[in-house]
Amino acid sequence: MNGFPHFDQFLTAVDRDAALAETSSRAEAALSRRGLLGITLGAVGAIVFGKTSVAEAGAGLPASDVDILNYALVLEYLQASFYTEAERSGALSGATAQAVKVVGATERAHVKAFRELLGSRAVARPTFDFQGVTEQQRPFLRTAVAFEDLAVEAYKGQAPKVRSNAVLAAAVGIHSVEARHAAWMRELFGITPAVNAFDRPASRAKINRIVASTHFIVSRPRMKARNKPHFTG
Amino acid sequence: MRHGTRLAAAITAATFVGLLLAGLGVSHREKSIATATGFAALPPAPAPVLKVGRPKMLSGERYVSRWTVVRRPTAAHAAPSASSVVVARLGVSAPEGTPNLLAVLRARTGAGGALWVLVRLPVLPNGTVGWVSRRSLGSYQVVKTHLVVDRRRLQATLYQNGKSVFTAPVGVGTAVAPTPAGDFTIRSKLTRYASPFYGPVAFGTTARSAVLTDWPDGGFIGLHGTNQPGLIPGRISHGCIRMRNEDIVRLSRLMPVGTPLAIR
Amino acid sequence: MRLRGPEVGRGEHDSPGEASSRRAVLGTAALAGLVAGLPFFRELFRLGDALGSPSKAQDAKILQLVLQLEYTQVALYEQALDQAGLDGELRAFAVAALAHEREHVAAIRKALGANAGSKPTFDFGSRIKSAEAYRQAAIDLEDTAVAGYNGQATNLTKATLGAAATIVSVEARHAAWVRAIAGEVAAPDAVDTPMTAEQVARSLRELGMRTQ
Repeated sequence: MNGFPHFDQFLTAVDRDAALAETSSRAEAALSRRGLLGITLGAVGAIVFGKTSVAEAGAGLPASDVDILNYALVLEYLQASFYTEAERSGALSGATAQAVKVVGATERAHVKAFRELLGSRAVARPTFDFQGVTEQQRPFLRTAVAFEDLAVEAYKGQAPKVRSNAVLAAAVGIHSVEARHAAWMRELFGITPAVNAFDRPASRAKINRIVASTHFIVSRPRMKARNKPHFTG
Repeated sequence: MRHGTRLAAAITAATFVGLLLAGLGVSHREKSIATATGFAALPPAPAPVLKVGRPKMLSGERYVSRWTVVRRPTAAHAAPSASSVVVARLGVSAPEGTPNLLAVLRARTGAGGALWVLVRLPVLPNGTVGWVSRRSLGSYQVVKTHLVVDRRRLQATLYQNGKSVFTAPVGVGTAVAPTPAGDFTIRSKLTRYASPFYGPVAFGTTARSAVLTDWPDGGFIGLHGTNQPGLIPGRISHGCIRMRNEDIVRLSRLMPVGTPLAIR
Repeated sequence: MRLRGPEVGRGEHDSPGEASSRRAVLGTAALAGLVAGLPFFRELFRLGDALGSPSKAQDAKILQLVLQLEYTQVALYEQALDQAGLDGELRAFAVAALAHEREHVAAIRKALGANAGSKPTFDFGSRIKSAEAYRQAAIDLEDTAVAGYNGQATNLTKATLGAAATIVSVEARHAAWVRAIAGEVAAPDAVDTPMTAEQVARSLRELGMRTQ
């Protein structure tokens, strides 16, 4: 099936490469470089100019909350890019095609909100190679189920670690939407939308391992060079 | 009991809260949570820090073009099947040293469930397409720009979401070494090489000269600046599309690599 | 924040009579101050915040609220399975969701121990008389559960928040599931808005819960 792991393998993934971990650690490195300074400058800016925009509100957040927000942003990037590419592939039909339009639009709205809040502290969008999974309906749905269940577990794992109440309020409001998405994709795939009475959380390490095992996050292709042109002239 | 004035104020303030809330039917004590129906004592949730806007459907999709790069050396076939005729062999790099960029047209599941992708091939005759295994390709990138070069009017126009955002006069090939017509892709961007002939920036394309077939590196058509701006507009090149340097610098700020190129 | 007035600032002993009349006078003065002075009001409210901040006692109160929610879900699903003529996927949903809600009730009762409230009575009226009515009631109730849990997230201690989080996503799955069965868009909103505890209580009463 194009070398793509099955749903079950998804959940028992082995740590093979550190793509998402690299993204996370780059985010962390960026934070340690700019984060505290950014927060300080932002707070000063708010006082001096009296702004109350969302961006300035974000400037007062604890560094650990900014880190959690960036972690959530990477997962939202992953989902938004996944659904958008699938919609564009033209490979989906029927109720699945309809669902993807709605869910994709929602995830894109999430990405936009995170980026607006985090401003210059937002991690950059990774490059995703979905290796054909967005171009065939069954593999797409299988992966969508896994991604949504993963997002639910991720938000659940982070919620108790959030320090700011405003961030927690935002997180829970998105967490339940991801759970609706999870049920929706399961229903489309033909499996039960809610298996257990209690959904379990997942640690960041587990989430990172699973995402890394997909090899979906790749390096950006570099299309510029300094070579001398050898065109016909 | 002796109280400092501030503490006295605080305690009486608490009583005022109680007076306020008395109307809500909640009895109020200093240290314990309100009892009775009590739910009024639970604070409402604070405003969430994220302002999520209204979800928007994809728009302007008719202006979307997709591209990818060759991830591992592979063959392009005439049909979505490994047993069909090989149309071209593709390496991972373009002659100019950048990844080998291919425009993605569509995908199809072949026999056995394998995914094949129809791509434009940088081979002669110009306009050749072929099917490549999805596994040999990298991530899909999207652009919403397209560049049109009109050989009759000697003009290049860049469109963004269908709207013209740039236009400039160009030099094209002579009758002996013409710029070929067809649908191609801007596949690389070269800068900081030392060659005034090509100007400050040169773009590689997937178009090839149909006559200069023995040219080093395959005779690819480029889009580049010039040290002879007086010749533009005109039919003056060996096939390349030349622009005045200030124009190509302007274009380079608007046109991402991967932009489709239509030469008419 | 200091109150300004003739009786304040002396730090003297008050006799009980004097104290209560003094409070009454100050009450009026401060109420006027409340209306006039927003910063003062915020100071007052800070005390209110302190009383609303997470604690085991507050967790218990919130768990009592969500227990009522779960009781309502159990009752609605039980009665609908009995009387609403459910079949097909809607019946399968009701059976699965009922099992989940019963587990929720059991877990919350265990957490509350002796403080677990008694089960309310219910009068669901026409909501359990037909599949269509039940379907809509289930959507409303599951949405209320999500909004109710979300609304209390910032009021819970972190430990209880973690536990509540394992439940709220299941309610959200239920909501999407039954919407999908109804042929509706399963997740129409980009973000779920919370409800206050009072709004939840009101919503449950409207749905048919009757407290003792």
